[in-house]
Amino acid sequence: MIKAESIDFYYGEYHALKNISMQMEPNTVTALIGPSGCGKSTFLRLFNRMNDLIEGTRLEGKCWVDGVDIYDKSVDVDELRKRVGMVFQKPTPFPKSIFENVAYGLRVNGIKDKKFIAQRVEESLRGAALWDEVKDKLKKSAYELSGGQQQRLCIARSLAISPSVLLMDEPASALDPISTSKIEELIYSLKEHYTIVIVTHNMQQASRVSDKTGFFMLGELIEYNDTKKIFLNPAMEETQNYITGRFG
Amino acid sequence: MKRKKRAQWLAFALFRLLGVLVVALLIWILGFIVYQGIGVISWEFLTTGPTEGMTGGGIYPAIVGTLCLVVGSLVISFPLGVMAGIYTQEYAKKGKLVQFIRLMTNNLAGIPSIVMGLFGMTLFVNTLGFGDSILAGSLTLSLLVLPIIIRTTEEALASVPYAFRVGSYALGATKLQTIARVVLPQALPNIMTGLVLSVGRVSGETAPILFTVAAYFLPQLPTSILDPVMALPYHLYVLVTSGTDLEATRPMAYGTALVLIVLVLIVNLLAHGVRNRLGRKVKMN
Repeated sequence: MIKAESIDFYYGEYHALKNISMQMEPNTVTALIGPSGCGKSTFLRLFNRMNDLIEGTRLEGKCWVDGVDIYDKSVDVDELRKRVGMVFQKPTPFPKSIFENVAYGLRVNGIKDKKFIAQRVEESLRGAALWDEVKDKLKKSAYELSGGQQQRLCIARSLAISPSVLLMDEPASALDPISTSKIEELIYSLKEHYTIVIVTHNMQQASRVSDKTGFFMLGELIEYNDTKKIFLNPAMEETQNYITGRFG
Repeated sequence: MKRKKRAQWLAFALFRLLGVLVVALLIWILGFIVYQGIGVISWEFLTTGPTEGMTGGGIYPAIVGTLCLVVGSLVISFPLGVMAGIYTQEYAKKGKLVQFIRLMTNNLAGIPSIVMGLFGMTLFVNTLGFGDSILAGSLTLSLLVLPIIIRTTEEALASVPYAFRVGSYALGATKLQTIARVVLPQALPNIMTGLVLSVGRVSGETAPILFTVAAYFLPQLPTSILDPVMALPYHLYVLVTSGTDLEATRPMAYGTALVLIVLVLIVNLLAHGVRNRLGRKVKMN
């Protein structure tokens, strides 16, 4: 379970997130939607501390992942990122073989047992619905895969280190419709084991894959509820306007 | 419309002409040296020391000496330069300190090599007491190529997409792991370019070795890194300016120049080979 409490976030002077509190349940898919620049990706990146890589940012409030205050001084960021996987907008496989891409997370975490690594790689590729397509070419470069396959490889890469949370930042926005539907099916099946948070610009996608939806605008969380409720009967006028495409 | 087309045609014709001119010039220089020098090249010339007051015999000790200096200076400068490049590009906070280091690196590159030679003599030969030796010469030459290696390393690292690093961090890799396992392998082929440039520079420089290592006449080979050696560029200089019989040694001077050029060419090709293999490995692996 992950939780944010009274989050205020600044890029220098810019107030990007305003007093946001939100709790995301295990084994559910939570979608974050909203117009560009509304802060949803910034919010997502709080949970694996990716915002730490950007200079001049400041955070107020608290974030919890599985009951741990992740911005506490005692927290090891590298350890946190093992538990909170992330998939990016553009597929970013490493310039290594398919096998090594998935094994990377295990290797950097000090695992040397070859049998275990091979087994984990297979499990992860199966988990990402990619195994059947690549099992005969594991030694080939990851760049020989299509964009959609590369993205599923990146998902497999995240699964290999057994995270409990998966953050996805517009994981299908750079893909064609067929690859997109494969990724969506995959997200739906993954929620059995993971807490999933997905940022998306695609409203249909949010309604198809998510159980809960949070609508962000200008750094504020306008509305957060069951996806059905948000799309059929939103409480706020801004939400209504956005999902019916009247702006944004 | 027509005028624009004509201007374009004229510009391209000019560029093409200049491009061809550069290549022609290079071929002319190489051809001239090959033509003048090929006559003295023989197995004996390559494998024996100079005799008869340097009007006879070969240049074997100078070939060995130059190879020693190339290897010696790169063993020192390559790790040092790559590590410095990694520091300024990956670790140091972008600010005054890095700017200062960059400025100083560029200044180091701008120091005339004869001044570097003088400095090397004072520090390595005299103060540190290495004497005229391969060690002192290699250290001095290292100073000369260090900026090249640092700069190419920085540029090679900067050209590795940021997305790779972020992807690696997101999997719980530390910064060092990310650099060692993702960034460096990706940058290595380009870093090798710095090595190639350095080889050419080191094997051809005369001034820095003048006071630090090069021997006027020393037919026997070095036995330790504290021995002085002959070196091709300095030997060439000696043959042209201060032999006992300049007319007689002129063909030997061209022969020496030819050997020097071929040597640089071979080492460059080797480095290119390594570079291409690494490049392929990066893609495949």
